[in-house]
Amino acid sequence: MKRIITGISLSLLLSGLSLGQELTGEEIIQKVDDILSPNTSYGKAEMTIITTSGDERTFVYDSWSKNEGEKNLIRYLSPSRVKGQATLMLNHSDDIWMYFPRTSRVRKLASHAKKQKMQGSDFSYEDLGSGDAFIEDYQAKRLEDEMMEEKDCYKLELTKKEESDLSYSRMIMWVIKENYYPVVIDYYDEDDPQKHLKRLVQSEFKIIDNYPTAMQVVMYNKTDNTYTKMRLLEITYNLPLDDAMFTERELKK
Amino acid sequence: MKILVGSLTILLMLSSFVTAQIEDMVDIFGYFETQIMGTQLDNKVYQLFSNKLRLDLRSDISEQVTFAANVNFITYHGKKEWYILDFLPDKVTGSISDELYPVFKLNFEDEIFLDNAYLKLRFDLFDVTIGKQQISTGTGYVWNPTDVFNIKDLFDPTYEQPGHNAIMIEIPIGYDYTVSGLYSPESDWESSTKMVRMKGRALHFDYTLIAVEREWTFHDYTRLDTESGGFFGIPQKRHLFGISTVGELLGLGVLAEYAYNDMQYSRSFQEWVAGINYTFDFQTYFMIEYYHNTLGKEKSSEYTFNDWMRLFSNEQKTIARDQVYVLIQHPLTELLDGGLTSVICLSDQSVVLVPTLTYSLWENVDVMAYFSFNLGEAGTLYDRNLGNGGMFRARIYF
Repeated sequence: MKRIITGISLSLLLSGLSLGQELTGEEIIQKVDDILSPNTSYGKAEMTIITTSGDERTFVYDSWSKNEGEKNLIRYLSPSRVKGQATLMLNHSDDIWMYFPRTSRVRKLASHAKKQKMQGSDFSYEDLGSGDAFIEDYQAKRLEDEMMEEKDCYKLELTKKEESDLSYSRMIMWVIKENYYPVVIDYYDEDDPQKHLKRLVQSEFKIIDNYPTAMQVVMYNKTDNTYTKMRLLEITYNLPLDDAMFTERELKK
Repeated sequence: MKILVGSLTILLMLSSFVTAQIEDMVDIFGYFETQIMGTQLDNKVYQLFSNKLRLDLRSDISEQVTFAANVNFITYHGKKEWYILDFLPDKVTGSISDELYPVFKLNFEDEIFLDNAYLKLRFDLFDVTIGKQQISTGTGYVWNPTDVFNIKDLFDPTYEQPGHNAIMIEIPIGYDYTVSGLYSPESDWESSTKMVRMKGRALHFDYTLIAVEREWTFHDYTRLDTESGGFFGIPQKRHLFGISTVGELLGLGVLAEYAYNDMQYSRSFQEWVAGINYTFDFQTYFMIEYYHNTLGKEKSSEYTFNDWMRLFSNEQKTIARDQVYVLIQHPLTELLDGGLTSVICLSDQSVVLVPTLTYSLWENVDVMAYFSFNLGEAGTLYDRNLGNGGMFRARIYF
């Protein structure tokens, strides 16, 4: 979640301005990871799926995150069909539990479930809850700088490490030089590194609690020709959140 | 006239004030579901229609107190009376006299009932839920050996289960463990259900230990009890000791559940379930679950009339000893999911195939359809003479 909804500290932003030209891919991705890592966050977001036929399905949910995205809790507020459903993701979404209020059941999902689409959207659970994946699971190589979305960007290629079990073989990331915020990320197939699966575009940056934050994130599915828009309605960083918030007891609340 | 208008104005003001207060305090939601079921029997297709309105109320009175309830209104139309003997093989029903034929009748009658109504109190160290509530135990998707409260529908295992009157206390121990105690009262302490459960997690696995005492009755459906007017049966104590787990092994989702049932008078039995599941990169979801129940018989020739009746009456989960459930699901489009379920009875080599489609028609409007094809020989669990069928359901959430 943090990779999408969190921002940059002003000090990091300023340090980036002076050091940018000398940085390697690993250094840039470390800075990206640093700015996407407030310890805790609370957000309310609206997620709209736009299908190939133009139909729309809109979800509104609350989400809480702790330990730089290691723990996440999502609770749906609407539509009525999913209201009250909640998802708890721990250990960077290696452990996922879903709560269904109508049956009062909590279901534990294995980590392969993180490949599944979240409520049929173009975001997978892994896209939203894999925390430090940029650093832990991928090796970064700096490519030639490029303009992207009218912003001067570093271009990075992230290649999955052998031991990683994540679903993307590689990612191409365009990072805004000014603030180290990733503005566009391309995701490639696990088995075919040339197959472009999805593109994430972040926009409408605002400074919130001293963190520049993308208020709108769009995930384009290149295979299905669909896209999902996620708009932040509320966001707060570094608020006090007890670990008890990320337990089955809270999931069923 | 002035007095009447004045009174009406005051009444209207009051009612809108009360409505606003209620809306502020109580969240009202639910769904309307209309359903058509069809079954082919002796070259004739019979239909049963139902309309269900589920009205949910929920009020978070404070951080510590939640009230929740739901009322179900259900109407049935079409063929509302089904005679069970019509579905059973002659060799099983042969001993039942013709006069008893009307006794074995399933009646679908309109109903209104309070399905759940409970109060949840959250204290610092524990939660207490008092009232009619859903109780679910076990990790199995279709079969739950450790669940003495519910039996899932094989073709629709995620459908909500009825509420049970109970007091449940849940005590979290650290962040990873919970100890629960449940008391489901009947007419006296002896006949009431007691349950103790401990849930924990370690190494990407959740596990549960459970012990239950419940009064249980296996009826003899060949003998009428003149005193009660029902079938003959002796209530007995059932003590269940179980364990269940769910987690991940070699990248696969795995689950297992075991229960030993110590019966006071009848033969004790054990049940277990083991399953695996996986989501492929192309989004296809696959699961397989194996179910073993020593109460079940090893071949179809051993099935008795009582076995069948106990199955229909939810007194036992199966009449066959070993079964396998296989499910393959795939999102055909963003809004349409297709699935194929196959239940294979290893004990009598019968199979039922259930293709399923679910479609999100509009926001908050889902439709679902399935067909069931019984492919077994006469007298087996999925005997083709049981009738092929199907169901169409539209549900509107509000």
